[in-house]
Amino acid sequence: MARYVGKRVLYAFLTIVVLAALTFFMMHLLPGDPFIGEKAVDESTLEMLRARYGLDKPVWQQFLNYMINVFRGDLGVSTQYKRPVLTIIAESFPYSFELGIRALIFASVAGVLLGILAAVKRGTAWDTGSMLVAMIGVSVPSFIVGALLQYFLGLKLFQWTGMRIFPITGWDTELSKLLPAFALSFSTMASLSRLMRSSTLDVLSSDYVKTAKAKGLSQGKIVRRHVVRNAIMPIVTVLGPQAAAILTGAFVVEKIFNIPGMGRFFVNSINSRDYTLIAGTTLFYGAFLVIANLVVDLLYGVIDPRIRLAGRKE
Amino acid sequence: MSKKEKELQAAKAAQEAKYAAAAAPYTPTAEDFTWIGSDASSREAIARPSISFWHDAMRRLFKNKVAIVCMFVLVAIILMAIFVPMFSPFTYNEQHVTHGNAPMFTVCEDTGHMHLCGTDNLGRDLFVRLWEGARVSLTIAFVAVIVNCVVGLTYGGVSGYFGGWVDNIMMRIVEVINGIPYMIVVILLMMILKPGMGAIIIAYSLVGWTGMARLVRGQIVGLKEQEFVIAAKAMGAKPSRIITKHLLPNILSVVIVNITLSIPGVIFSEAFLSFIGLGVPIPMSSWGTLANDAILVFRTYPMQLFLPSICICLTMLGFNLLGDALRDAFDPKLRR
Amino acid sequence: MADVLKIEDLHVSFDTYAGEVHAVRGVSLHVEEGEVLAIVGESGCGKSVTAQTIMKLNPMPPARIKQGKIDLCGKDIVAASEKEMQDIRGRLVSMIFQDPMTCLNPTMKVGKQLTEAIREHRKLSTDEAKKEAVRLLEMVQIPNAPERAEQYPHEYSGGMRQRAMIAMAMSCEPKLLIADEPTTALDVTIQAQIMQLMAKVREETGTAIILITHDLGVVANLADRVAVMYAGKIVETGTAEDIFYRPKHPYTQALLRSLPTVDTDRSEKLVSIAGTPPDLFSPPAGCEFASRCEHCMKVCKKHVPPTYSFGELHKAACWRLHPDFPGQQKEGK
Repeated sequence: MARYVGKRVLYAFLTIVVLAALTFFMMHLLPGDPFIGEKAVDESTLEMLRARYGLDKPVWQQFLNYMINVFRGDLGVSTQYKRPVLTIIAESFPYSFELGIRALIFASVAGVLLGILAAVKRGTAWDTGSMLVAMIGVSVPSFIVGALLQYFLGLKLFQWTGMRIFPITGWDTELSKLLPAFALSFSTMASLSRLMRSSTLDVLSSDYVKTAKAKGLSQGKIVRRHVVRNAIMPIVTVLGPQAAAILTGAFVVEKIFNIPGMGRFFVNSINSRDYTLIAGTTLFYGAFLVIANLVVDLLYGVIDPRIRLAGRKE
Repeated sequence: MSKKEKELQAAKAAQEAKYAAAAAPYTPTAEDFTWIGSDASSREAIARPSISFWHDAMRRLFKNKVAIVCMFVLVAIILMAIFVPMFSPFTYNEQHVTHGNAPMFTVCEDTGHMHLCGTDNLGRDLFVRLWEGARVSLTIAFVAVIVNCVVGLTYGGVSGYFGGWVDNIMMRIVEVINGIPYMIVVILLMMILKPGMGAIIIAYSLVGWTGMARLVRGQIVGLKEQEFVIAAKAMGAKPSRIITKHLLPNILSVVIVNITLSIPGVIFSEAFLSFIGLGVPIPMSSWGTLANDAILVFRTYPMQLFLPSICICLTMLGFNLLGDALRDAFDPKLRR
Repeated sequence: MADVLKIEDLHVSFDTYAGEVHAVRGVSLHVEEGEVLAIVGESGCGKSVTAQTIMKLNPMPPARIKQGKIDLCGKDIVAASEKEMQDIRGRLVSMIFQDPMTCLNPTMKVGKQLTEAIREHRKLSTDEAKKEAVRLLEMVQIPNAPERAEQYPHEYSGGMRQRAMIAMAMSCEPKLLIADEPTTALDVTIQAQIMQLMAKVREETGTAIILITHDLGVVANLADRVAVMYAGKIVETGTAEDIFYRPKHPYTQALLRSLPTVDTDRSEKLVSIAGTPPDLFSPPAGCEFASRCEHCMKVCKKHVPPTYSFGELHKAACWRLHPDFPGQQKEGK
């Protein structure tokens, strides 16, 4: 087990280093000079600025400095907001995190239940219905879901009934969090339910389910004790990528619902070409997802005794 | 008695007669005991007609109503994308500032033609922009998927066929690329590249091929161990022959399904990038930029958002359903 | 002795998209208390389908019992509801399967899988059930049973897994144990151990066993009676001696000739049965074996042979057993 964990941690660390290198070289490759803006700046000031930010040193030394700074938690100062990138992240990330966690929990629970329902009631209206919902979910991008929800439930419902049930934008009351979280979770829920359905069908046709049936267990007991745990394994493996999808999906959902999360800062930084902020947030996102993947991998080891024990023997 | 019941009863009667005949002992004549021995031609007889894999798959695909509807819708969308911009009285960047944000079916004051889908805030005809956008979005989707397919097939094929340390190194590279969230890499690449259709295709292709490569490698590794490939090798077939005659035809169905199912992914990525301001440059239109522009005004002019959204959803839905139908049609487990 | 199981004229079909496959076509058999009945036949002859139908384990649809009766310890299986079947499965009849590698849930400890079976039908506390599970594992000769019960199936070897399966099947002391090719997936040396274990289990518990196999060699020591199946029908049935020393049906004879024995002279050739069984998608009109039978006559192609009895238990279905059969003719050209 220790070796398995060690290997995974090493992989994660390597990926973060590669990502940091990638961001650094992207910044370096960018056309233009970060100090040439709207205002005319004279040559001596430029020199001074370059020296201050270490841009006069050779590339490899800049890279080394950058890496050292990154691992010390210094991601530079945003040119747009004139504040340290890390501060911006620290302020805005909790919003994004809460939104993402709400969406992820809803998506996993609803997706798994929907998938099991469809597989157990295979060929019935339950199956057709839930798979129709799932098909729509994987085919409608989150920003469209978000905009539609906002238009019909936020705006039209208010106009029709006169009651403000769902606020159009914002992130304060429970109700205001409902629509963005649902919009963000919909596609993930849909793809998880499709995956869960097919893996449940696989398990249902396996020999050990037949053994369980031969013991005289009822369908409900078979599903609860034998099917769910085995069928959920493939779901756990895709949780990492799905977390990534939710995190990137949050960019647009935060924009639509005007939530002061990190995604909105990220999109703004792209639009205003605020390179330090872009690099900082990208790196943070990347590292976060790599660690999320690592956690998922380790979780998988805990759930599946075959992996857990194979690791122990080594 | 309904026709169906009659049929049912007739069938039942026929079956009972058959069982009665089987139960009643037949009295054989001396003639009957003539020896004929085992019959080499019929003892290996195959009772059901043999149907080729592709024939069978196509038959099943065309029996699937959902698949037919999808193909019809997708062909219609593609035809519209080709012909609407060619024959429209408006061009996609022609502005009629006097009637910006016009509702659907407004007659244009300048030309006398009708704006079928109204205009945007700069007075550009939305109908032609919608189908011009379809051209951009679909072109990006098809080109990116083809590039991914070629790269993925080659990479995965080489890795899977040669195996050993080659495979090991190639797959570690894929693993590292996969470890980085692809949308973030695409966004980074989009920052460096000159904005445009090419940039989106390149950015997507640089990370998008790993899925296909893994899929192809997995298939090849599985097939390589199978007896028919080993037999071909034992009979002295050259690698080129094994790859083209034995391996490729067997992974083709999986590849086709994967291509169909990855098109919606690219369409989504393009829309997503446009939505966060990294799409095709102004004044070009794509479904994503149309949606992005509409978001600012959609509380007053919801149609401007709904139209590109419907197009995005229909196309993604069409390809997803078609991909599912293809997978069902190709699945040998369903062949009986 | 009383019959544990009695099947009369059982027909089972599968509805596939290409049409109806007649997997079992008029099987009648019975099993007495404490008796071992072996069902022998090639793969695809319907022996597994018959066995699974006794427990209604094959998914319905696509499977369908078209006609026939199954009487298990006085219970009408064909009419039984799913709820009644749950009470019957495991308590009156249990089953072990071909591949022990896939028959145990990989994410559940073996002991847990055993107690689950025990607690389903017997009113025992968790601790009692655990003790019972260990006792069962000891009965099937698993060393260090208390420790082994806390392990997962992948820590067991193939033979041990099959032992655990037997323990699980015997947990409620069923009247009938169905063993569907229990040794096919195992090494030859392990096969013998498993067969010995089954003999021991039968002696200790007095359960009747239906042993399904395609290998006549496996059944020789254990079986009291043998039923030979071909293309969804029982072509010959009798005591083990009847089948091994006085086979009547050409198929049984051919099967025996394809079996090597220690006494087989090296110069003697093992005879294989040329051809393949008919497709049950559209079974032939006459005797199913006709096209592969070296004794095939004109009548065999047209009419289904009736069943003839030789003594109380020995029965076979072949036209050559007809009283008017003129005797062995000159065969060959």
